[in-house]
Formats: sequence, structure tokens, C-alpha cells
Amino acid sequence: MTLQPPDTPGPGRADDADVPPEAAARLATRSSASALSIPDLAACLEAGLEPVGLVQGFCAMQWAFYGAGSPYLQGASLSSSLPHGAYVEQWSCPHGFVSAEHRMWGQNYEQPWVEAAWAQGFGSAFQRMLEEAADAGAHGVIGVVDTSAHVADLSIVEFHLLGTAVVVRDAPLPAGGQPWSTYLAGMRLTKLLEAGMMPVSVVASMVSVRVWASCVTEFLSEGQAYGWGGSGSAGTAEIEQVSRARAAARSLARQRIRDQLGADELHGARSGLDWRELGQGDEIVECTLRGTRVRRFKEVDPLPAPRPTVQLG
Amino acid sequence: MAFLDAPKPPTGAPVTSDLSIDETLLLHSIGWVPVDLVNGVSVYAVPAGVWVWSQGEIAWATEAHQRAVAAAVARLRRECEHVGGSGVVGVEVTIEVHPHHVDVEVVGTAVRPAVSTDAGRAKHRGPLPEVFVSDLSARDFVLLHASGWAPLGLAFGTSFVNVPRRSASTALQQRTQNVELANFTNALYSAREAAMARMQETALHVGASGVVAVHVSEGPLAFAHHVVQFSAWGTAVTLVADQHQRISPELVLSLDDRVVTFDARSLRRR
Repeated sequence: MTLQPPDTPGPGRADDADVPPEAAARLATRSSASALSIPDLAACLEAGLEPVGLVQGFCAMQWAFYGAGSPYLQGASLSSSLPHGAYVEQWSCPHGFVSAEHRMWGQNYEQPWVEAAWAQGFGSAFQRMLEEAADAGAHGVIGVVDTSAHVADLSIVEFHLLGTAVVVRDAPLPAGGQPWSTYLAGMRLTKLLEAGMMPVSVVASMVSVRVWASCVTEFLSEGQAYGWGGSGSAGTAEIEQVSRARAAARSLARQRIRDQLGADELHGARSGLDWRELGQGDEIVECTLRGTRVRRFKEVDPLPAPRPTVQLG
Repeated sequence: MAFLDAPKPPTGAPVTSDLSIDETLLLHSIGWVPVDLVNGVSVYAVPAGVWVWSQGEIAWATEAHQRAVAAAVARLRRECEHVGGSGVVGVEVTIEVHPHHVDVEVVGTAVRPAVSTDAGRAKHRGPLPEVFVSDLSARDFVLLHASGWAPLGLAFGTSFVNVPRRSASTALQQRTQNVELANFTNALYSAREAAMARMQETALHVGASGVVAVHVSEGPLAFAHHVVQFSAWGTAVTLVADQHQRISPELVLSLDDRVVTFDARSLRRR
């Protein structure tokens, strides 16, 4: 088995992502720390992958939704300050002038400055992990685990990626020195290879959408459908602005992943949709999507029809 | 936004899938392939005041729930059609009930037969149904397929019912006794019957002959303890082969069990 190096990188890179001297010294000892379970280790060895070290990357990011890059601090209008192609949708009040407090318009808009901060944090931690792996002479990193969490009660988010660096027996180092990476390990990775697909890179995307509620969204979110909602006398109605914001977050996250795939496929995708209600229909929706970019190196060769069994153990 | 209404990927767009490698291989074995991640979202408003302690079913909350699920599933199906899928498997259903809105999200992987291959054509049993939505895993889908059945859609039913107040004398009598609270039990039965009937109605509506892999959830609401909710959902199925195909599973006796669950010495008298 020969794994070829990826020709394109995964998530964003850090320019200053050098391996710390202490880590370089530790990795040079060649004591093969690994996060693999025993069955996974056995499966990897069987496939010709030898662990050479547990590699990690960290990045702590200042995290403020109204921080640098946000149009809030620039006094600019949102529509004009959003980059071309960013998601933005408008809702108008159907009631006419009611009072100064009445919301005359609503808007869903993407928050590229939040997405850029997430991409920088994730990408830097990812790149630092890969640099540790390259420093250890690895061909790839398997069993990647990534976490991001707020540190204590501070406006700081810590990104942490961890994986097991491996070398492929009797294979040349990847061209360009960039190891491949995957969330898979052990048996699942072996099955992927047997199925004719090789991992290229961990890929991930995050989309943040802000809901600035219109009057109808505000009233519906507070249960005040009578007389104000878009459906007249009906007791219930869809809160369209919120539904579309969440659908947009998911669709955009999928599109951003597609943009990273080239002609390859996304395998084992995991997605999450979080939303925080800020009050009166306003909310922030965040969608993350991650998985392993895989490349087919041989045609689909279907297994024989599966044989049903009943386990008596 | 065009991408929300017509999320069709460009020709030759890369495959995205949340299936495991085992599930992908199982699909390949019956001539099917994953196409794309698809999702459906809907948030429906629940009018203020519906959770006030009253009698019987809470029609507006039930209606909001039913319509939110129907809208989310319809969007999921529409996305599947746009990406060229024949159906959706492994659908993850997330439902949150809040005092003023019901949030529904359904996410799965669109799949289709690889009809470009002879194996795909040969292994497909019977006519292809219309685009289906199911919460079956890929493994369950393959097993269903091998048995000559096909999924038709997601069947769903729910009901919110007020727990009737007890009379003052009944409440006083029961206060110091461990007895059945018939009002609570009856409310659960009432919610169950309504929800199950709705689920079966949705299955009949799509021409199914049954519902498999039914999940149920029930209990009082966190923000309205006097209201019980019962929900039931599963995959509506129909027989597409001439008759049910017996799969005749082989018996497998595992010999690697190291757990001692029975010790004959424990039978010895002391």
C-alpha cells in the first residue's frame, strides 16, 4: 500500500506555526506515543502504518462577536460591509407605522468575521499538529480528535487538535512535507483503504448567522400570533425568518466543505447546529461541519451481498 | 436566496456523506451509493396561553408540532430530489419544544442506486419508489432491501394532553397513599392513542402497509408539568418484491466471551 500526499491543504494555515523546541526534542526521542486502542493499533500495523508519536496543536483565540473585523465597530451598514456572496436576507414590516418601538424591518446576515476567527483558530491548531507530525517524519496523522471550548468565563476560545502521527512502511515522504490527516483510525481506516479510498485531509467549516428579528418574527417568537402574525387568525404559523436562518447555516456549511473537496469526497461527516436566543426573536445560529476528505484510488468494487447472521454469544 | 430554494449542486459536485465506512460498503453491496448531505429545518410558533391548565388535547401545540415536522421532512425530501437522490437514510431527528415555538431539524444522507453499473441494476428489487425519507440506518435499509421491502416515508404523530385536575376530595384522599393517579394514566393513554393514530394515518397516506423501527417518547413537559406529550415516529414501508424474501440468517456462536456469568460452585451447599 502506498499513500500519496495530498495536493491541497485542509483548513487554514498559520504563518507562525513553528514547532516549539521542547516538542521537537520530545518527538526526536522516537518513543511512539499513540492515542490508538489496542485493536486499532493492531489494524494499523497490519495495514503498514506505524505510529511515531502523539501530535497536538493548540490555538487560543480572543472571542468577541463584535470584535475586530465586525462592521459594528466601523459604523458601516451591514449590507454594504458584507463580502460579496455572503448570505443576507431582508424582511419588511407588513403593518405600517405602529410606534417607535415597532420593528419596521428584520434581517438575517452571515457573520464572516466570526467565521474567520473560527477558521483561524481551527486552522492554526490543525497546522501546528501537522508540523509536529512532519517534524517526527510522519506520512500522516490518524485518529484526529478536535475540540473547541470557552476557557473559564473569559472571552477566549481554545482550539485543540490531537492525533497519532504514523509512517507508511517502505514509502517515500509526502511531496512538500505536508502529511495527510484523517478523523479515522484503526479498523475503520483499514476498511476505507480496502474499499479503494485514501484519506487526504481533515476538513471543517463553520458558519455563523445572526437573526435580527422583524416584528412578525418577534411576535411569533413570543407567542403573540393573534393579530400580528403573518397567518392572520391562525393560532400557529411558521417563524420563517428563523427557519431560513438555520437552513442557511447548514447549507452554507455544506457549501464551504464542498469548496475544500475539489474532485474528492467527504466521508464520515459530523455536523452540529447551535443557536442562542438573544431575546425577542433575535438569535445567533452557528453550524459546524467536519469530516475526512477522501480520494478514490480504485474503482468501486462492491462486496458480495452481505450474509445475515444471528449472534448467539 | 437561491441556494435555499434550489440547493442543487453543480454537475459533478463532490459526494458528502455522514455514513460510516461500513454503511458505505453495505450500500455498495446492493448497488446503492451516497450522494449528499441533506437537511430540513422548521420552526413553528406556539401561541401564548395554550399551556394554561385546561382539559383535553392542546390542539394548537399539537398542530404546531405536526406542521413543523411535516415542513422539515418536506424540505429534506426536496433537497434530496435536487441533489439527484432516490431517498434519505440515517435521518437524525431533533425536536425541541419550547413554550412559544417548536423547533424541528432532520439531517441525513441522500442515496441512490448506482444504476450506471450492471450490478446496480441487477441488484435492485422491484420498481423504484418515489423519493423516500427514512430514519433507518444504512444497515437496516440494506436488510429491508434484501427482504424485498422499500421505505416510503417518515411516519410521525404527536399529541399534547392536559392532565385533568383531581377533585379536592380525591386529592386529599390520595395525599397520604401510594395509589395510581388515574388522571395522569388516562392522559397518557389519550395522548398515546392520538399520536399513534396520527402516525399510522401518515403511513397510510403514502400507501404504506406498515411502520417499522418505531420510536416513542412520552412524559410531562419541563415547563408545563400538567401537560403530557406522546410522540411516535418510524419508517413507513411497503413490499416491492412479489413476496417477502426470506433472508435465512446463519447462527453464529461467539467463542471470545471472557465474562463469567454463571459459576457452578455457587450451587454448592455451605
